[in-house]
Amino acid sequence: MTLQVAPPDVRTPEESRAITERQSGWLVIAEQESRDLWTSGRGSLLLFLFSILLSAVTYLTSTNQALNFLEQRESVNLVLQLAVAVGVLVTLVVSADGISGERERGTLESLLVTPVPRRSIIAGKLIAALTMWFATFVVTIPYVWVLARGVGILGQALALGFCVGTLVAVGLACVGLLISGVCNFNKTSIAASLFLMLILFAPTQLPSGLPQGWFFDVLRRANPVDSGLAYISSILVNGHSWTQDLSYLITPLLTAIIAGGALILAGPRLVRLTPGVNAG
Amino acid sequence: MRALIMILLLAGVLIELPAPALADPLTVEVVADPPVVSTVLGDHFEVSTEVKNTGTKPTGEILAHLNVASIEGSVYVDPEDWSSERSQQLSLKPGESRELSWEIQAVNSGQFAAYVVVVPFGGSVNGNEQLSISPLVKVDVAQRTTLTAGGALPVVLMVPLLTGVAAGTALFRVRRRRGAGT
Amino acid sequence: MTSTTVEAVRLTKHYGGRSAVQDVSFTASQGEIVGLLGPNGAGKTTTIRLLTTVLVPTSGEFSIAGHPSTSASEIRRCIGVLPESSGYPAHQTGGEYLRFFARLYGLSRSKANSLAAELLATVGLEQRAESSVSTYSRGMRQRLGIARALINDPVVVFLDEPTLGLDPAGQAQVLDLIRTIAKTRAATVVLSTHLLPEVEDVCSKVVILNHGRVAGAGSVGEVISTALIEQSAELRVPIDLVERARNVLAGFPNLAIDQLSEQPDVLVLAVDGAGTSGGSGDVMNAALAAITAAGIPVLRFELEGARLSDAFFKMTSEAVA
Repeated sequence: MTLQVAPPDVRTPEESRAITERQSGWLVIAEQESRDLWTSGRGSLLLFLFSILLSAVTYLTSTNQALNFLEQRESVNLVLQLAVAVGVLVTLVVSADGISGERERGTLESLLVTPVPRRSIIAGKLIAALTMWFATFVVTIPYVWVLARGVGILGQALALGFCVGTLVAVGLACVGLLISGVCNFNKTSIAASLFLMLILFAPTQLPSGLPQGWFFDVLRRANPVDSGLAYISSILVNGHSWTQDLSYLITPLLTAIIAGGALILAGPRLVRLTPGVNAG
Repeated sequence: MRALIMILLLAGVLIELPAPALADPLTVEVVADPPVVSTVLGDHFEVSTEVKNTGTKPTGEILAHLNVASIEGSVYVDPEDWSSERSQQLSLKPGESRELSWEIQAVNSGQFAAYVVVVPFGGSVNGNEQLSISPLVKVDVAQRTTLTAGGALPVVLMVPLLTGVAAGTALFRVRRRRGAGT
Repeated sequence: MTSTTVEAVRLTKHYGGRSAVQDVSFTASQGEIVGLLGPNGAGKTTTIRLLTTVLVPTSGEFSIAGHPSTSASEIRRCIGVLPESSGYPAHQTGGEYLRFFARLYGLSRSKANSLAAELLATVGLEQRAESSVSTYSRGMRQRLGIARALINDPVVVFLDEPTLGLDPAGQAQVLDLIRTIAKTRAATVVLSTHLLPEVEDVCSKVVILNHGRVAGAGSVGEVISTALIEQSAELRVPIDLVERARNVLAGFPNLAIDQLSEQPDVLVLAVDGAGTSGGSGDVMNAALAAITAAGIPVLRFELEGARLSDAFFKMTSEAVA
């Protein structure tokens, strides 16, 4: 069989450049990565499992005849905490696959020889990873509606969950991509990210009877996930105002700024065939 | 005789010496409004109080503090759950009055008393000071059932169903693409 | 006049103390097919990665289509690359894959759709456009990769081992496609491969790398000549004309003539002494011409040491000085 090659269309380099600038590479990558994540079934399967968890929590809460107003408010808080924890975790795992996964699958080099800037590649992958958080939040909305409408905190709970969850998710997605950039193997990258989550969550699982001095308070506030969740609790459960405990948001904000800044600065050196940031 | 008169005079002087004085009472008047609030469990309402210095001297730093108590006696009340900002600090010149408002959420059902007490604040407190208290604000909170299993069931069932269908559709499409190649 | 589209000047790449590529220089012009040859670890893939801006050279310069090495984004706009062992997203279809890359190069959705369909037809995958890439055979994936390398209508196409793992029919298809790309698109093709016989047919120029250095470069004939390979030939003539053939060939003083004991009608010819391979070739040509001029039928003539593979083995077996 002889394969024929059709004569090419004529396009000047200037026209090519103009076209490339009009259609941002980061948007194309974000769209394709998101499509791969959701049409492959990975994302929707995770959401399905998460919805089963939330349904169990909501049903158990609703069948509790002795549930009082305050406990119902705490149930809303619990659902939001689950949403943020699960949403951030899956976002981290997806972002940890971003660069090291492409290396391992052998698809990175094809991407590197396109005219898309390295930072655009990172931006596209970051956005795709964040779709996991946004989808998790959307799935959470009906549960929060059911639990929160009777206790007058529906709007507040949704706004709070969205703002704090997005802030924490952005920070940890940036961290996940940084880890992915310096790891050669995808398993290493994902394991390192999961280990990071474990370190972040471990102090919160200590028995409440242990002494809770300044050290544990610092540990809690230094943890972007835990301090974000503590901020949500302080408003939903303790009834504080949004500005009363803003100090809890310092760590999530710093994580997002530092990790995001590191990605912007080191991005071109992370998206390479070999891991690390040394000159290639 | 002269000695007896001296003793009687001395006793009279001693009797006339003033007793240790009580601290100056707070010359502050507190008025709360409205006097009765009827609401439903979970709703927010506002209580206004006017604190007025009725004395001739400045009050110095004083603290107006909100408290809530059950007047039925069977409900545990944690005032922190009702309002997160229960203390407001202020100072008043003679004749000055200030209006303070309190945002409260009814987190228990039943009958309650809300009131504001004004206490002196800071290093000048010696103990023994008189306090000023507002009249009681009666709060009637009606019970409201906000969550039932039947009300939650549609969401509990539909969301996993929808996400399951989405996941199944995606996996089916993947299988079909793979099958198209074989 | 064809323009120079690839120019590499003393390209060098070190990894710590190890030199992967050292002082590699060559040029390629529009429409040329350049074969980049060498044993495993010779530096072919590293050289391609340097020229495609995936790696940064330790020293040296290069330009692609007039764009210097400092203009990486400009270079990427005008090259197409099929990397060695290129991976493909398992869950995407061939059509989706090409549409994605078309959009990365700035095409609108509709243009990406039509271009993807056109390229899939070009490489013979139109029937499998909507099948998952995970169901493609090795050869189909290579063809998909070539289609992707053509998406931006490149000035220079880099193909790193495009026939790796393909059966002979697949190899022939790919080489035919490469030939057509260079001809109809006037693109320069830089082809890294181990298939020496096919390189001789397809490539107008070869660069042989050994231990990261250029061991030989030029047209196929020039490289063979440079290799200074001693040529020999087996000449079979009718048994009754063997002596007459001997007498004709005796007129060539540099030509040693021997006879195979087991095949008395076969004469083994060898060019004596030092001389360029070009000179040996001339002697052989002249000897053959003399035989035919003498009316002696040539039943078989096999020339040894005049193939690219001979030059390749000789050049790559020599130690680097």
